[in-house]
Amino acid sequence: MSALTLERGINAFKAQIDAPMASFFSSCVSCGMCAEACLFYTENPDPKFTPIYKLEPMRRVWEQEYTLIGKLKAKLGLSKPVTDAELAEWQELVYNNCSLCGRCSAVCPVGNDITYMIRKMREGMVASGHAPEGLIGASTRAVQIGSPMGVKLPALQAQVKHVEKHTGMEVPFDKEGAEYLLMLSSMEIMNYPEYLEAVAKILTNAGKTWTLSSECFEATNSGIQIGSSDIARELVSRVVAAAEKLKVKTVISPECGHAYTALRWEGPNLIGRPYTFAAKHIVEVLDELRVAGLLETEGFEDAKMTFHDPCQLVRRGGVVQQPRNLMNMVAKNFVEMADHGTMNWCCGAGGGVSANEDAEEVKMKAFQRKKKQLDELKVDTLVTACANCRIQLEEGLEVNQMDMPVVGLTEMIAEHLVERKDKGGAA
Amino acid sequence: MRTTQHEPHEETLGERLRSQGISRRGFLKFCGLLASSMALAPAMVPKIAAALEQAKRPSVIWLSFQECTGCTESLTRSHSPSIEGLIFDAISLDYHHTLQAASGYGAEEARAEAMKEHYGKYVLVVDGSIPIGNPGFSTIAGISNLDMLKEAAAGAAAIIAVGTCAAFGGLPKADPNPTGAVSVADIIKDKPIINVSGCPPIPVVITGTIAHILTFGIPELDSLGRPKAFYGQNIHDRCYRRPFYERGLFAETFDDEGAKAGWCLYKLGCKGPVTYNACATLKWNEGTSFPIEAGHGCIGCSEPNFWDFGGFYKALSIPTGMTGQTAVYAAAAGIAVGVAAGAMNKKAKMDADSLHKTVTVDELNQESPS
Repeated sequence: MSALTLERGINAFKAQIDAPMASFFSSCVSCGMCAEACLFYTENPDPKFTPIYKLEPMRRVWEQEYTLIGKLKAKLGLSKPVTDAELAEWQELVYNNCSLCGRCSAVCPVGNDITYMIRKMREGMVASGHAPEGLIGASTRAVQIGSPMGVKLPALQAQVKHVEKHTGMEVPFDKEGAEYLLMLSSMEIMNYPEYLEAVAKILTNAGKTWTLSSECFEATNSGIQIGSSDIARELVSRVVAAAEKLKVKTVISPECGHAYTALRWEGPNLIGRPYTFAAKHIVEVLDELRVAGLLETEGFEDAKMTFHDPCQLVRRGGVVQQPRNLMNMVAKNFVEMADHGTMNWCCGAGGGVSANEDAEEVKMKAFQRKKKQLDELKVDTLVTACANCRIQLEEGLEVNQMDMPVVGLTEMIAEHLVERKDKGGAA
Repeated sequence: MRTTQHEPHEETLGERLRSQGISRRGFLKFCGLLASSMALAPAMVPKIAAALEQAKRPSVIWLSFQECTGCTESLTRSHSPSIEGLIFDAISLDYHHTLQAASGYGAEEARAEAMKEHYGKYVLVVDGSIPIGNPGFSTIAGISNLDMLKEAAAGAAAIIAVGTCAAFGGLPKADPNPTGAVSVADIIKDKPIINVSGCPPIPVVITGTIAHILTFGIPELDSLGRPKAFYGQNIHDRCYRRPFYERGLFAETFDDEGAKAGWCLYKLGCKGPVTYNACATLKWNEGTSFPIEAGHGCIGCSEPNFWDFGGFYKALSIPTGMTGQTAVYAAAAGIAVGVAAGAMNKKAKMDADSLHKTVTVDELNQESPS
């Protein structure tokens, strides 16, 4: 075992710089539009929180290593090499003050995908030993225990028993040949067990076969958040192995934003081959059931509601219309936030921010953006489809003394489900 | 002997134009220009023509507050005689203290009369901002701007705030705003207000907005209350120099080779990327040119607080620690050297790839950040 060093970090930067990244660095015109798009800047307007500035050390490595002028400048002493102290200084910019929400990428006039770059920069931060403690802990537990929160199989089994008792339905484990493999996030197992019950009811009621896996139930991927492809690959491989062993057609990513990004977008690139199954977010699956006539609801919520779009789902994932279709099934008084859909503001705690204890203050500051959106709307209830967003929203609402329940979309749909007598079920 | 019975008849715009000797052809041409400038389908031209033909000459009261008369100049000087000018003639401009012949008591009486006669129906046009720091800062006939605006707004069907001063406070409001200048919309809350911003606005945008109100009512407005038809597009997106921006070719000074070659003026402070107006498409002086075409960056005059944007010659914002000069090196290096150094870089990257050692969680924990 070797140590994490500055040298390894710089090398990781060099290895991560690919053609898109080089062209992004060379085409930035310093217009500053990314700053105005970033809630860590707008709620805390210090120029150092400008998204593209968060990449400054990596930009210098690019310039010094891959451009002629940069090489000359380095030789002449005009461009100083990146130091360990600088990377230590940048840690809070790259981790605590970026949720990888992708809003900066969406506004960049020259089309720079800044989020893509920060994701890559984290690789070098990890390799140089400048990842935050919170994410190191989460990654360690994810690799060694199988869950970033340290949740083990017996805990899930206990929740499953509870659900089975409550619904009278079987929650199957390791059922080979099932159509769906349901993945979960630890947050759902520990904080929102009603999610599992909701999905169990909906899928069984739709006559679909589905299963959990006892070998791998965790869909979240701390490797993506900390920015280590090595760890991310290890974690996503476990999901792939479980899905392929059980020969399922579709793996359902839970109500979690980055788990979806990990499974749906980064996964195949990490393992270097296409999946033998489809990867979908639960909201996509529910909307498919709706279209197929397998999701019938009754009654409406009277409360005035809005939907918080999880960034990874909407902006990075393109799942925009599906949650709205579902909202409209059960909400009579559904209103949209000013910047809804692909330009929605992040909750302030995604991309690993919530794992870092020292980001507590920052993420509550960032929440002010969401507060402004909510203050404008004056809604009774806030609906979302990401457990991480939900925790942050609940905390932010509480800190700001805003009395408003936060509801998971899947659970809300399940509450209005028309239960069929001829339940298909997996039994 | 001939006797003419004078029926009380309100002249329509069409009648008025014909009596002024405007041909049908000229009129339709104007309607066509209007349709295209408002991004309406060609099929709308006859509709505009028909609606304008039938439009009654509405009473217009034009109030000028803290302003420089540039907005009026823009409108009247544009190209005369012009069909726009005549359309304007065809509006019953009952009060405009710069243009009207009457003065003093007679002028104020005309205003009072028009307001009384057309109460609830007249269109109020305002240019200039309103000082609320001290009502004595700007008065007309002894009446403060604030009082006159409130009085005139009460009976108006709609208000057009012409120019950035009336729309957003403009130059008088620039830091430190010594007169406490505010916009029309800051004071009047209960009437539809159309902001026709610009310092000054493009003439055809002023007439086009009035024509839209005559034909189709209040136009669709953007978040700043400006007609979307004219302010819906970004100068930068419509700029003919945009290809140079895309290629990273910028003029660095006003007399360098880049400036002579017509490269992008972004670095010389052009505010095109944050400015919404029709300059790049409609242009000025009968479509002759617009500031960027004349070699000067856009100053963003149709946007709120443009005066305090941080300097007309300062590039929008420079967020990174790098100076303008290093940014140039970086851009130049990326583009010019990128290809030549490609092979060399490929090797460097491959070396870096092969040097990559798998990161394990054990390592993470061993080397927890200091």
